[in-house]
This record gives sequence, C-alpha cells and structure tokens, in this order.
Amino acid sequence: MANLCHLDSRQITLGIKNGDFSAEEYVSQILERIEKIDGKINAFITVDKEGALEKARLIDRKIRNGEQNIGPLAGVTVGIKDNICTSGLKTTCASKILEDYVPPYDATAVRRLKESDAIIMGKLNLDEFAMGSTTEYSKNGPTHNPWNIDYVAGGSSGGSAASVAALECAISLGSDTGGSIRCPASFCSVVGLKPTYGSVSRYGLVSYANSLEQIGPIGKTVSDVVMVMNAIAGKDNRDHTTLELVPKYTLNPTKKNIRVGLVKELVEGAEPEISKCIYSAMDLFSSLDFKCEETSMNSIEYSLSSYYTIAMAEASSNLARYDNIRYGFDLSPDGYEWNMYFSKVRSNFGQEVKRRIIIGSYVLSAGYYGKYYLKAQKVRSLLKRELKSLFEKYDILIAPTMPLLPFKFGDKIEDPLKMYLIDIDTVIANLSGIPAITVPAGFSNDLPIGLQIMANELQEQTMLDAALIFESATNNIQRSPDL
Amino acid sequence: MGSMEEIRHLGLLSKLELTDQELRKYESQIEEIIRYLDILDRLSLDEIDPVQSTIKFSELRKDYVETFQGDALKNAKHRKDAFIKGPRMS
Repeated sequence: MANLCHLDSRQITLGIKNGDFSAEEYVSQILERIEKIDGKINAFITVDKEGALEKARLIDRKIRNGEQNIGPLAGVTVGIKDNICTSGLKTTCASKILEDYVPPYDATAVRRLKESDAIIMGKLNLDEFAMGSTTEYSKNGPTHNPWNIDYVAGGSSGGSAASVAALECAISLGSDTGGSIRCPASFCSVVGLKPTYGSVSRYGLVSYANSLEQIGPIGKTVSDVVMVMNAIAGKDNRDHTTLELVPKYTLNPTKKNIRVGLVKELVEGAEPEISKCIYSAMDLFSSLDFKCEETSMNSIEYSLSSYYTIAMAEASSNLARYDNIRYGFDLSPDGYEWNMYFSKVRSNFGQEVKRRIIIGSYVLSAGYYGKYYLKAQKVRSLLKRELKSLFEKYDILIAPTMPLLPFKFGDKIEDPLKMYLIDIDTVIANLSGIPAITVPAGFSNDLPIGLQIMANELQEQTMLDAALIFESATNNIQRSPDL
Repeated sequence: MGSMEEIRHLGLLSKLELTDQELRKYESQIEEIIRYLDILDRLSLDEIDPVQSTIKFSELRKDYVETFQGDALKNAKHRKDAFIKGPRMS
C-alpha cells in the first residue's frame, strides 16, 4: 500500500469515498507514523489509538453500506491542542494543575469536527495554558521543529503545527491569543488561520484571554484550512460572542485586482532574509495583477504593550478558578487551612503562568487600572480605527508572520521580555479581531519563513483567495521534511 | 513595581506560594516587563474611548436551564458521601 500520510484533507476524503483505501488502512498508517517519529518531535501528549480506529471502522462501515450521511471530513485525521476539551479524553493544558482532567463534554469545535466524520487522533503539546511562543513552557517537554529538531517549533500551538508538518495527522486545531496558531505554523512551514473574533465558538476552549483568543485550523494546504473552517465556524448558543454566520468558504478565487498593502514597519523590523522574502511575495502578487504598495501603521509601536497588558489581566482573572477542588491533581485537602491549601496547589503552575498572573494582578490593581488596562483598551480602539481606514484602501495587508527564523532551544527562555517581542507581527489581528493566515513563503538556512495575510473583519474569503493564489504560484515550497 | 516585597504581596493576593529563588528571578524580569508596558504613557489618549463589548444586554440569550449529559463532578477527587471535600475554613 502506498504511503498515505502525506495526503491532504481533500485527497483523503476522495480516496476513502472512492474506495482507493479504507479509513482504517489510512488511520493505521498514521498511528504507525506517530509511533515511529513522535519520540523525536514530541507533538502528542495523548494518542487515542482505540478511539481513532473505532471511528475509522465506523466510517468504513457507513461507506460499505452505501449510507448517505457521510460527513465532509470523512476519514481526515485531526489532532487537537490540549487546551480544547475532548469528552472522555484528558485535556491537560500541559500543566500539572490539570494533569488528570478528563472533560465530561466536547468543545463545540471538536463536536462539529466529529459530526463531520473527522477522526480525532489525540491531544497536542502546547505552552502551559497557551502562554508562550516556543512550546518550551510545557510540563511535557518542548515540541521539536520537524525541520531541525534542535530548533523550537514555535508556540503556543507547537504540537498542532509540528504534528501536521511531521505527517502525524492531516490537520489540527490550535488556539490563537496573540499568534499562537500562526507562529508555529510559520516556523513549521504549514498553513495556519486565526479566524475573525466570534467566527468560531470558544465553548470548551480553556480560557486564557477571552477577548483575544480564537480556535482555528492548521493544515498542509489552504484547502485543508478551508475544509476545517466550513466545519467548525458559525453561531453557537454556548458562546455569546459568536456571530451569526453560515460558513461557505470556497477555493475558487473570484475577486480580481486585489489591493495589497505591505506593512512597512513589520517588514523593516524583520531579519533581512525574511524582509527579502516578503518583498518577493509582493513582487509575485504584482506580477499577478494585484495592486500592491507599501503602507504604514502608526499604532504598531504600542500594540505589544497593549496586548500584553490585556492578555495578562485576563489571564490573572481566568486562572483564579484553579483551586483543585472540582478538578485538579491528587492533593488531599485534609489538614490544610483554606488559604494554605490554595497557595500550595497553585504553586504548581509553571514559571511563565505565575509571572503572567502576578503582572496581570498588578495592572488591574487599584491605582494602576487607569495607567495600564484602560490605556491598553484605548490603544486597541486606536488600532481598530487605523485598520478601518487601511481597509478602505486595501483588501489585504501583508507582512511577515514572524520577525525571525526558528531559533535554538534555550535562546530566549531566560529573558521573557525578549520572548514577548517576537509576537510583534501577530498581535495586531488579536487586538482588532480581524482574520489572519500564514502560508509558507520560503526557506532561509533550511528554516521556514511564513507570509502573513490579514483582511478586514469577516473578509476571510478575500484573504483565502489571496492565500490560495499565492500557494498555487509557489507550489514548490515544501510542507513536510524528511524525517 | 518590581521589589521582592511587592511581588510577594501580589503572590499572596493571587494565592501563589513563591520561593525566594522565584522572587529573586521575578524581581528583575517583572520590572523590565512593566517598564516595557509603560510605553503606553507616551500616547495622549484622553479623547479615545476604550474598546468595549458590542453585545447589548438585551441581546443575550435567555438564561434557561439545560440538563447536562454526563458526570460534571467526576473530576472531583476527594469526596465523602454526597459531598466534595475542601480544606477547612480556618
């Protein structure tokens, strides 16, 4: 039997429906692949072998019996970031605090994937509670970049991106609070999409910074993320921030003469080989009759301060719930006084989570609220205002996804501020709620570079059109390395 | 912000037990991070309204009770009879 692990979602669903191979044969190959290489990559925290095989057999049975209710993702293997709840399957957030937590329900995005007949392979590594940009802050150890295992895979959805690049699953779900889908997708040379805020339900996503984060897909191709978005997006009564939308994203670029603005500050702030690559992308768009020009964004200078103020404030509030009473790790409360017990339990958060809780508590405390949190929310208004006027002139904005190439383990972990600064290109989309996608744009020193495309709120289709056109014109860019 | 005492106090308020080693490490790191957040002071923002939720109270769905399918309490490790055990209040 041919190697099926490299197939994208469309090829898998077609192959299974046409009877070229069965879902069970395909899933067995994926399980073998995980067994063989995940020791090197460390993308998975939990592999649900039995659940995956059972679902594959169910799909095969439905096809054999000629049933009509075959889902649009029938047989596609999917990995889920371990901060998204999966009924009956551990959801640990890569934290000691939730090491034993088995959710009694599915996140809406997971439920919708299951209803589309996707096959859940297991749970993927991340920075603890999604706080980080390299996946080094995981209780389970870091995820390695499949392109060079001495380098970081990016974060916080490092497992979600690395597993797709390493062919351990076809697609994955990540979450993006300040770039956590796009950063690792860029570092691993795969496609990652952060949807418009409110497009995808956050029900069942373990909260870190509610006003910023969205669940989104990672895949090898633009076609992969389109198929996932069509399955997971849309209104959900269990998340009142979801929008009334019926997802019907397509792969037939219709819009002609897309107007492109290249964000000068972000390109100039990137490493030279990355800037060069983004300018080449603009040249490519120009050669395809897109109207391209450089543009400027003044509020970028303030966006990271605003982002970290808001993210940490929301984190300190959200993480107050971890008291180890309703769920948690095994520590008997017998013999402890109330405050002592909680402090003891919560000392088991990792160093980055504790740092963010402390700073978040500080910026929200009496006397500092106006100086930090309120100002950060005002900067957010400024940024939205600036983007509104930019999107009157341009259909999409392009920039690097990351200002630097993947780097070696340990390079930034001892200097948290240095780590925060690498999020400069991605936080804009979270602060303003707009959609953004990263697509592979090239390599430098055998390490991947991602092109980021942003569009106005709910203008995913224009963004996807541009991404698809770019992908078709650069189809020699590799998506998975030899391992 | 940034002295060990301030960080210890914030730790106490957020129910985090911090070791002396952690406090020493956080002292310089947090001071540096807060200095970076102070960039916000460079802007005059008096005329700008902060971002707020656009969802009106009247648009929220009805607060109806939905029966939860599944054992919502199965992750509570320390139970006695029909109760969940917690630490004593004082």
